[in-house]
Amino acid sequence: MTNISNLSLLTMILFVMIPVSLSYLFSLGIGKSAIWSSIRGVVQLFLIGYVLTFLFSMPDWQGVGLWVAVMLVIASLQAAKRGKGIPYAFLLSLSSLILIEVFVLSLWILFNIIPFQSEQVIPMSGMIIGNSMVATGLAFERMKNEFHDSKGKILAALSLGANASQASQMIIRKTIRAAMIPNVDSLKTIGLVQLPGMMTGLILGGASPIEAIRYQIVISISIFSSVSICAMIISLVTYRFFFNRKMQLLE
Amino acid sequence: MKKLIEVDHVSNERVSNVHFSLMEGSLTTIIGPSGAGKSSLLLLLNRLEDPDKGEIHFKGKKISDFPISELRRNIGMVFQQAHLFDGTVEENLKFGPSLRKKWEQNDGVKLLEKVQLSEEFLTKEVENLSGGEQQRVAFARTLANNPEVLLLDEVTSALDMRTVELMEELLHKLVKEEGKTILMITHDLKQAKRLGSYTLFMNEGKVEEQGETASLFQHPKTAALKHFFEG
Repeated sequence: MTNISNLSLLTMILFVMIPVSLSYLFSLGIGKSAIWSSIRGVVQLFLIGYVLTFLFSMPDWQGVGLWVAVMLVIASLQAAKRGKGIPYAFLLSLSSLILIEVFVLSLWILFNIIPFQSEQVIPMSGMIIGNSMVATGLAFERMKNEFHDSKGKILAALSLGANASQASQMIIRKTIRAAMIPNVDSLKTIGLVQLPGMMTGLILGGASPIEAIRYQIVISISIFSSVSICAMIISLVTYRFFFNRKMQLLE
Repeated sequence: MKKLIEVDHVSNERVSNVHFSLMEGSLTTIIGPSGAGKSSLLLLLNRLEDPDKGEIHFKGKKISDFPISELRRNIGMVFQQAHLFDGTVEENLKFGPSLRKKWEQNDGVKLLEKVQLSEEFLTKEVENLSGGEQQRVAFARTLANNPEVLLLDEVTSALDMRTVELMEELLHKLVKEEGKTILMITHDLKQAKRLGSYTLFMNEGKVEEQGETASLFQHPKTAALKHFFEG
């Protein structure tokens, strides 16, 4: 693999300057934010590089345990932000992300898909947790929006004798569907429209394309499954918070 | 006629000390300005909301003592907007009965007949229906549970004259032939006169005046009702 020198890396400033210049040219007002995000991104990535180097030097179970725990907490905090107003949003996010990670990791190890090594488990878990975090956040947001927008339909369903679960079915279905559709679409076009990040990374790192696609298949299908489970857990648990015990819709 | 529902000095955020009774097999209309608490009152009767004070009795028993789903099936409600569920007309019609596995093949056609829609409507997607058709399907969907009481929240306000006539005809039939008890909010005073045997006038959350429809319209007692009639 070719090493990118520090000098070469510095030329990336030119790439940053393009959107910054466009921002000033068209008065978009995002110039400062683009510079700040780029600097922050670079610093974060360098730090993570050192952290990962440190983690990979630790015994596998310690490195994996420590970093997966950090990722789970950060992802849960982020997802819970979208669930503002929903009780226990953080705990819900954390539990569903833990469940997903344990489920996926167990299958990977059990079926000998990847070895239990920090170098393999940490980046792949990161992808699972990251995508599940987005799905969790979107599921929270979707539930809130749907309960707001479909208030009339829910009241109609309740007035016809439906209980909270029956009245929420349409919203639960929509939420799970919304979480799954982007993944279904991306699986359909995978490799045709763009080479996925993991596959690209492996090829750049010197792996053969055939080897790279094997990893990509594992991660893409695992993400698809995790995202679906996440949306299902969040919608099946959170709908209850929109009703009281007397099957009345809360404001 | 016997008392089917008794609303006993009920109050919450939007209604205040409301007291009236509904007789079995009667059609009572509610009139009053916007924001008078009319819709909120219907929500209380269907237990979509609960009062902070007072009690509502159905067949002599507190409505809070009924299993809530059973009560809502027996005191059916049709909203001002149709609020149909995504899918076909048939899926909407069988929503209530299917919850108790009481839906039979022929039921859809019978319900559509009641609201004067043809059998072909069963397979139509609800999004392809006109406003009037949607409202009729919503009405049929509530009738599918065979409720004893019907709460109607301005169900004819967005309909054309012909559909209004059809609906009024249906309401008459439901009361006279099937013995249903109807409580109906209307903004159309002529409709209230045409349909109601008893009328409640609500204003600022209170039932300011109530009585036989003809007498209430001919001899309004309160200044608020007189003012309301004057428009």
